[in-house]
Amino acid sequence: MGDAELELSPSHPEEPEPQQQSPPSPTPSPSPSISITSSPSLSLPSTPSSGPHHPSQRRSPSPSEGPGASSPPLDVISEGTGELTLVIDPEVAKRACQEVLLKVKQQHVVEEEGSEENDDSPTITTTEHGLPNGDLGSHGSGVAVKGGVVKSPGIREEDDTSLAKNARRRQRPNPSKQSWLLRLFESKLFDVSMAISYLHNSKEPGVQAYIGNRLFSFRHDDVDFYLPQLLNMYVHMDEDVGDAIKPYVVHRCRQSISFSLQCAWLLGAYSSDMHISTQRHSRGTKLRKLILSDELKPTGARARRDPPTLSLFCPSAGTVTPLHGAVAGGLGGEHSLSPSKRTHQRSKSDATVSVSLSSNLKRTASNPKVESNQEEPVRLTPQREFIKSLMGIGKRLATLPTKEQKTQRLISELSLLNHKLPARVWLPTAPFDHHVVRVPHSQAVVLNSKDKAPYLIYAEVLECENYETSIIPARIPETRIRSTRSVENLPDCGITAEQRAGSFSVVPNYDNDDEAWSVDDMGELQVELPDVHTNSCDNISQFSVDSITSLENKEPVFIAAGDIRRRLSEQLAHTPTTFKRDPEDPSAVALKEPWQEKARRIREGSPYGHLPHWRLLSVIVKCGDDLRQELLAYQVLQQLQCVWEMERVPLWIKPYKILVLSSDSGMIEPVVNAVSIHQVKKHSQLSLLDYFLQEHGSPTTEAFLSAQRNFVQSCAGYSLICYLLQVKDRHNGNILLDAEGHIIHIDFGFILSSSPKNLGFETSAFKLTSEFVDVMGGQDRDMFNYYKMLMLQGLIAARKHMDKVIQIVEIMQQGSHLPCFHGSGTIRGLKERFHMSLTEEQLQVLVEQMVEGSMRSITTKLYDGFQYFTNGIM
Amino acid sequence: MSQVEKKVGLLRRSSSSKKPLKEKVVLMYDEIFAKEDPSKHNPRFWDELFLMKVNLEYLESKLESVDGEEVQRIQDNINSLFHHCVQALGEEHQIKVVNALQTLCALFRGVHQKNKSASGFDIINMLMGFDKAELRMKDLMERLDSLLCGDGSESLKSLCLKLLLCLVTVTDNISQNTILEYVMINSIFEAILQILSDVSSRGQHGYDAVVLLALLVNYRKYESVNPYIVKLSIVDDEPTLDGMGMVVHHALTEYNRQYKAKEEESQGGFFSTLTTMVGNMFIADADEKLSVQTNEAILLALYEAVHLNRNFITVLAQSHPEIDMGVTSTSPTPTTPTTPLGTTPPSLDAMNNPELPLDPNLQTSNLLITFLKYASIVMQDTKDEHRLNSARLCLIILTCIAEDQYADAFLHDDNMNFRVNLHKMPMRHRKKGVDRNIPCRPLVCAVLDLMVEFIVTHMMKEFPMDLYMRCVQIIHKLICYQKKCRIRLHYTWRELWSALINLLKFLLSNETLLLAKHNIFHLALLVVNLFNMFITYGDTFLPTSNSYDELYYEVVRMHQVFDNLYCMVLRVSTNTGQWKEPASKVTHSLVNVRAIINHFNPKIESYAAVNHISQLSEEQVLEVVRTNYDTLTLKLQDGLDQFERYSEQPKEAAFFKELVRSISLNVRKNVSLNTMSQDLLLKEFSTIS
Repeated sequence: MGDAELELSPSHPEEPEPQQQSPPSPTPSPSPSISITSSPSLSLPSTPSSGPHHPSQRRSPSPSEGPGASSPPLDVISEGTGELTLVIDPEVAKRACQEVLLKVKQQHVVEEEGSEENDDSPTITTTEHGLPNGDLGSHGSGVAVKGGVVKSPGIREEDDTSLAKNARRRQRPNPSKQSWLLRLFESKLFDVSMAISYLHNSKEPGVQAYIGNRLFSFRHDDVDFYLPQLLNMYVHMDEDVGDAIKPYVVHRCRQSISFSLQCAWLLGAYSSDMHISTQRHSRGTKLRKLILSDELKPTGARARRDPPTLSLFCPSAGTVTPLHGAVAGGLGGEHSLSPSKRTHQRSKSDATVSVSLSSNLKRTASNPKVESNQEEPVRLTPQREFIKSLMGIGKRLATLPTKEQKTQRLISELSLLNHKLPARVWLPTAPFDHHVVRVPHSQAVVLNSKDKAPYLIYAEVLECENYETSIIPARIPETRIRSTRSVENLPDCGITAEQRAGSFSVVPNYDNDDEAWSVDDMGELQVELPDVHTNSCDNISQFSVDSITSLENKEPVFIAAGDIRRRLSEQLAHTPTTFKRDPEDPSAVALKEPWQEKARRIREGSPYGHLPHWRLLSVIVKCGDDLRQELLAYQVLQQLQCVWEMERVPLWIKPYKILVLSSDSGMIEPVVNAVSIHQVKKHSQLSLLDYFLQEHGSPTTEAFLSAQRNFVQSCAGYSLICYLLQVKDRHNGNILLDAEGHIIHIDFGFILSSSPKNLGFETSAFKLTSEFVDVMGGQDRDMFNYYKMLMLQGLIAARKHMDKVIQIVEIMQQGSHLPCFHGSGTIRGLKERFHMSLTEEQLQVLVEQMVEGSMRSITTKLYDGFQYFTNGIM
Repeated sequence: MSQVEKKVGLLRRSSSSKKPLKEKVVLMYDEIFAKEDPSKHNPRFWDELFLMKVNLEYLESKLESVDGEEVQRIQDNINSLFHHCVQALGEEHQIKVVNALQTLCALFRGVHQKNKSASGFDIINMLMGFDKAELRMKDLMERLDSLLCGDGSESLKSLCLKLLLCLVTVTDNISQNTILEYVMINSIFEAILQILSDVSSRGQHGYDAVVLLALLVNYRKYESVNPYIVKLSIVDDEPTLDGMGMVVHHALTEYNRQYKAKEEESQGGFFSTLTTMVGNMFIADADEKLSVQTNEAILLALYEAVHLNRNFITVLAQSHPEIDMGVTSTSPTPTTPTTPLGTTPPSLDAMNNPELPLDPNLQTSNLLITFLKYASIVMQDTKDEHRLNSARLCLIILTCIAEDQYADAFLHDDNMNFRVNLHKMPMRHRKKGVDRNIPCRPLVCAVLDLMVEFIVTHMMKEFPMDLYMRCVQIIHKLICYQKKCRIRLHYTWRELWSALINLLKFLLSNETLLLAKHNIFHLALLVVNLFNMFITYGDTFLPTSNSYDELYYEVVRMHQVFDNLYCMVLRVSTNTGQWKEPASKVTHSLVNVRAIINHFNPKIESYAAVNHISQLSEEQVLEVVRTNYDTLTLKLQDGLDQFERYSEQPKEAAFFKELVRSISLNVRKNVSLNTMSQDLLLKEFSTIS
């Protein structure tokens, strides 16, 4: 009965009595009183803990069937408020988790004033507290050993897990007694990857529960990488694994909206392969519902995250943090009017307000515009609706027959979407916190796809400290283009309104015509000549301005007609190579434009462009496509990139972020400054090598050589990827070429066991056309040999860390009906391709063979031809 | 009394013969027009009155028939009637509200009919009494405001708007309507906005609301501070502005659709062409005129919005599918501004949104495109005065648009391409509908096309000089923008050049005739300066280097026109006369064009002589041009990229005054009709409640 109290006690830093630790002692000790005060929930867990593990196992199915049953225990977990729940779900994990949370909570209480950040993992701080009473560990570890080695069924899991937790963080005097497993778990080498692996492979509930707890101690980012695996295990594996994972997930959901949504989306996607009837009652579906019901919010001030957060961020909005200070200052009065709690409610204009106040209108309730809506913001809704709107657009676009219509429709739909921005919405693929303030609708393009309508949008965002708590920027009307330079103009936005209102009531002869046109558009333009093209041609820009000034000196200015003509052709030649606009391929032009250039251009045309934290992002919205395989490929690529980086192999690959929203929709982070080789060839009408020469200069120039090196390194990287993952459907529309010469493979729709039904084309290990070889300088030249050498090094490095790669794929196979897992030999095949048994010499031969084979492969050529004839892809 | 009755009888010819039984309400009206206080004997008189169905005709004619001394006598009763009408507006019983609204309508109209010549103050005195007027009108406006903004019946709201329209248009000249002073003080602007911002109410009352707003904005526009102008100029609520745009869009689309239907009908074959031709003489013509007239009001509203409100410009580019929008589907904005993204799931309502139907054949359109199409129809024929006014207003609106930086930005946006099928007048030398397959281009191309089209098709004896000036100025403004922002528009400039040269040619050949009425030198100067823009600044905005050569080619090819023009302006400027000054300006502006002609002509001739070719091909001429640039020196002219900004105040005031007058007359006519037909609807309404 007293076990729970005892276990909890060591976690309290003020707990003085090491003797209490001895697990079997049921005697109430003086220490519980302390723990009770700090955690009222103590009385609760004691009940289930008295029973051994088995009863809980028997009991747990029942709550998972009750509709609301899953949520109450969670409350208990997080709050520790002692809300007694009738059904106790997975006590084991729960209690252990509770303990961790409790520690974290105390941590916050004690260290609140400290400047620790939210994503500080709780363990770090716990460790600091755990250290002083180090001798506690010896007792704890003793128990842990017992749990770990003997593994008697009677042992209560909570004992060893929680104590192991404590023990792990302490200096242990007698390590000899420990199990090898525990030692591994406690070692510094034990990382998320291993944790996931053990979670997946271990059949032992104790180990699983331990790892479930251990998850709390990893960095959020590290765990996030494995989120698909975690959730897939949660959905498809047995109770124990689910129970072990759930507390962590719930905990994180409470902390972060973004995480909540990620989980909900992934859970939905990974549950979709289940049979419809089981799916409805499955754990995944339930957790998803729970998350989406938004019950997992950080409750009030007690939420472990908010108090420090708020104290940190709230003042900063006004003065402290430079970031916020700048934004608030920049926007002037508009911010002071808007309550900080405002979510996506559009800022009402100061002008409207002041006028309706100054005029003798008594309208209040009848006019919705004056009413202010300051409800508690709905936590998940804005973002969900934002995503939903984007998906809705995609669905509707798919019904339109031509690219042109799709593009026009897309633009008009997005312009409507703009009305609701800025809002507390963000692009989940971005690496920083931000709010979307505007979608430059005319920039969006429909991508090339036969029957679906994927499209690419750009989003203007304002970087912020925290998307959940930072103030949403006020809306600026579209027409208020401030251009880049005019930060100093800003304060007058607020003033003019008052001036207008004032002059309306006071000044009798008020020239409204002037006021309505107060901003002299053309005059403004006169001053701010775009300085892009002027560098090369100073004369004419002078002339343009001179035409105004030269009014004074009456001497006629003469210009040579030849100069005008020459400038014209020069300027046209100087503009960077662009693709010609093609209504059937609208994305080519948009993607060819250098990102910097585009961002500058959009910024100039945006009413938000003057704000210092303005950023441009882009995202591809896919509707009707299953991105789960893409996500899997992304993870593998990411893992291999890490491996190669770690092993210092200069292979270059570009994993692009994938956001799975459901089993048939999602978003993709576009690769910037890249166009497909198909587009390159079609629009430039050049061979790849000639295109390189055109873009980067002659073969001896620095620019060309570095582009060539980039090409080779990326080619090698992707050749390996294509081989290892058996990436198929490698036509030129699926291979991008970026501005620096890298190639990037996209579209991992056919990997591992699946390939397009194309009569056995693409039998080679990877795609290596003679054009590619030409860019490398031809066969048996230095760069080509470098290419092969890179591949060999890459393969050796990958082989060394094979497990990390295999594991990602293997876990995802669980319960999945994805085509890439078709058949039984998927994992075996993947393992074989790492060729563990070969010596390095043999590997080298293998690489040679593969390169030879791919080069000679007639099927590659055939496949390109096939694609050209069927889809017009060059 | 009998005298009065007789008069009434005369007015109401239909009923006079029968000498029918008088309705109760008529008797009650008679009581009002008696000397005594009608409630003296019957304390419930007013209550009962508003339960009766209004007899508008009788009441109006009664008011009209009252003469000088009687006015004094019955003024108290009329004041009382007015007062009780206003009171009744607050009644819960909706029948009373309806009747009160109609009675008020009759009161305003009747009193004005009677006092056509009288000053506004007499009218106010007669209706409300001087001392009470302010209070009464305040009450009235507040009641109307709450009726319009409340959740009451839609037909009530409609009737409120009709009453307001009736009030606004009782005088021919809106500025002489003194009662409106109270409407200025007690603004109903917010109520109008609310109607426009709400999807359903916009569908039903949007048109009336927009017309009302347009008229109110024009009340003493130039003499005093009109709060409606001020307020309209600073509205920045997008749903509202969009709503306004949608109403205008809807009306213009409807007009375009009707025109197209008629056009297709007339193309149905020879016989039908004949019949419609005959028919047009009688019916269709009048019909068409009417539809143009009704749209003048909406066009005025569009103008006021574009001219006064900078934010409205965005609405122009707000695209939506081109559909015949029914009453239910006139909303571009799924949610009200106050509802957060969440409360009404946009995806859901976007998916089921009626205004974005999934018809693959729909071309996406926007207000500007619709407007351009409308303008292309209206401009076809400017002989009729209404059409001339409409065309002028269209060009004024385009002028405002061309001056706006944001509008220019989206006009030139390379990513926003549209196919704009402008209507082209069938002419002898060109077939209709040849160029159906217009490419998708930035919107500015459509504007330029429209201008070119106008220039080409209006060279006639009744020369619309004013429209031509505006037209050329619009082109100039657009080119100035392109020059300043270095936008290289892929437009077939050649068409513009040849249109402009033809215009000069026309001016020359009709010099004497035109000079009698117009200052053709001003127009000629503008045209020549357009060429100067291309010549001196072509490098900043021409799309290809070839186009610069083509410009020279075109100038050299048509050198005769420029030569003649030079001779003409030289001749006029050497004479003394009123045209001396403007003609000499043109002389100076021609300096570069003449330099080009004088430089290249000999070169081309010698090239032909050397190569023994009698007729040089275009390619050969271009070759000569290319090789001889370097020896040509041009003079930089001042202020080519300067233009006078549009301003309504002194220049256009007269036009707008007249326009508003004609719109007022028209609205008044239509409102009265509608109010009567409203009776039917209200009868039904009365039985329900």
